[in-house]
Amino acid sequence: MPQFFSNKRLIMLLVGVIFLVALISFSLRDRDHASLPEQFIKDVVGFGQSIFSKPTQYITGVFENVDSLLNTYDENKRLKSRLEEFAKLQADVNVLTLENSTLREIVDKEENLRKYEPIQATVIARNPDQWEEKVVLDKGTIHGVEVNMAVMTSQGLIGKVFLTTSFTSTVELLSTQNPNYRVSAMVTVDGEKKVFGLIEGYDDERNELILKRIDSNIEIKAGQKVMSSGLGGIFPEGLYIGEITEVTTDDFGLTKMAYIKPAADFALLDHVMVAKRSMPSASGIDGEVIVEEEEEKEEDPS
Amino acid sequence: MIRFVVPLIAIVLFFLEPVFGLFSPIELYGEYRFLVPRFLIMYLIFISIYYSRNVAMIYGLVFGLLYDVTYIDIIGLYSFLYPLICLIASFIVRYIHQHLLVTTTLSLLLVALLEFVLYQFFLLIGLTDMSMSNFVYGKLIPTMIANSIFLIMLGWAFKYLINARFIQRLNQPS
Repeated sequence: MPQFFSNKRLIMLLVGVIFLVALISFSLRDRDHASLPEQFIKDVVGFGQSIFSKPTQYITGVFENVDSLLNTYDENKRLKSRLEEFAKLQADVNVLTLENSTLREIVDKEENLRKYEPIQATVIARNPDQWEEKVVLDKGTIHGVEVNMAVMTSQGLIGKVFLTTSFTSTVELLSTQNPNYRVSAMVTVDGEKKVFGLIEGYDDERNELILKRIDSNIEIKAGQKVMSSGLGGIFPEGLYIGEITEVTTDDFGLTKMAYIKPAADFALLDHVMVAKRSMPSASGIDGEVIVEEEEEKEEDPS
Repeated sequence: MIRFVVPLIAIVLFFLEPVFGLFSPIELYGEYRFLVPRFLIMYLIFISIYYSRNVAMIYGLVFGLLYDVTYIDIIGLYSFLYPLICLIASFIVRYIHQHLLVTTTLSLLLVALLEFVLYQFFLLIGLTDMSMSNFVYGKLIPTMIANSIFLIMLGWAFKYLINARFIQRLNQPS
């Protein structure tokens, strides 16, 4: 039996392992802040990454075009049947928007939770080991992206910005297992009442989001649409999230819980929008807001 | 010329992994199957077997660190596991025949080992609560199939290139 490790090597290995455990625990502690060298590496790798991902997206785009060309006939038939309905809806929306703006002028209220500036971005990478649901975008703080902003596709909300560097940003998708990930959402019941809840967690087996903390006195049904409420402080109001598929009571029987089928597809993401809310937004993550306000208060008297 | 091709391929594979990651997960029989691209580590295992263990371990450390910083945000995870896998590969290869088929199988087994260790790690720190059977059917097996297709297609090219570099280094002692 040959000796695998001489004494010197054994000591080096041990020191290495201790160093690594220390490094892992250190970097696990604050994962949502990137230090300066980390940001630099992220930017450089992100630049290289976008060189590789842009041609790939072009090729997949060609395949998708061919694919949609094959479905044209069926799709056309289906769309024609919905066209009439759409025209009516469009007219309704126009009237309502007009009415809304005139009413706003009357009460002199310009700002609106719904307003946001979209920042167009391209997905350049997906966290390749896929233990966490993260994607990397090619827009960073220079383009106005900030932590906790909402990210969506044309179909609906997909996640929020988790970390930014100058030229890239990391987005955590809604399908994450992170227990601290919450989105304030609402359901409009019968077009007049808003019901609020929190999206907390993702059911892996059903591939559906879980909407919790809904008032148990209010009737909600499967098929109703869920949107972001804008009350979380950072997201604009009215970003479409998905449709309710099932309503149950939660573990303690005090509030209701609903399963939501997300509108957006989390696989094969390419072009996304980052929603920058026009209204002033609350800063920081859960729990951090209060600390910052306290600091400001302390500074004021001095 | 060939001197620069070996690291160049490693860089290309490093950048290709997240791009292929964009195609995953795919929905098959009503369930999501995760395909994790592990091209770089398989290439490093080949370097470790056919060229030099130390070179493979240095590459593993550098690319593992880049991987950690850019995608995982846990520094020290891949930068430890990549060199470790290369080290294990170089130990095992002393006792087996260096035929391409054998080394391909060995690389795939080591990728499975890497995937399993990562599963245990993420389970430990609570970033996933995937059940064992879900992990095996939804992640491990699809990953192994995808990576074996990749390695069967390009394994011979890796071997050819790395061997060419090895012979070149033998011929010009520094």
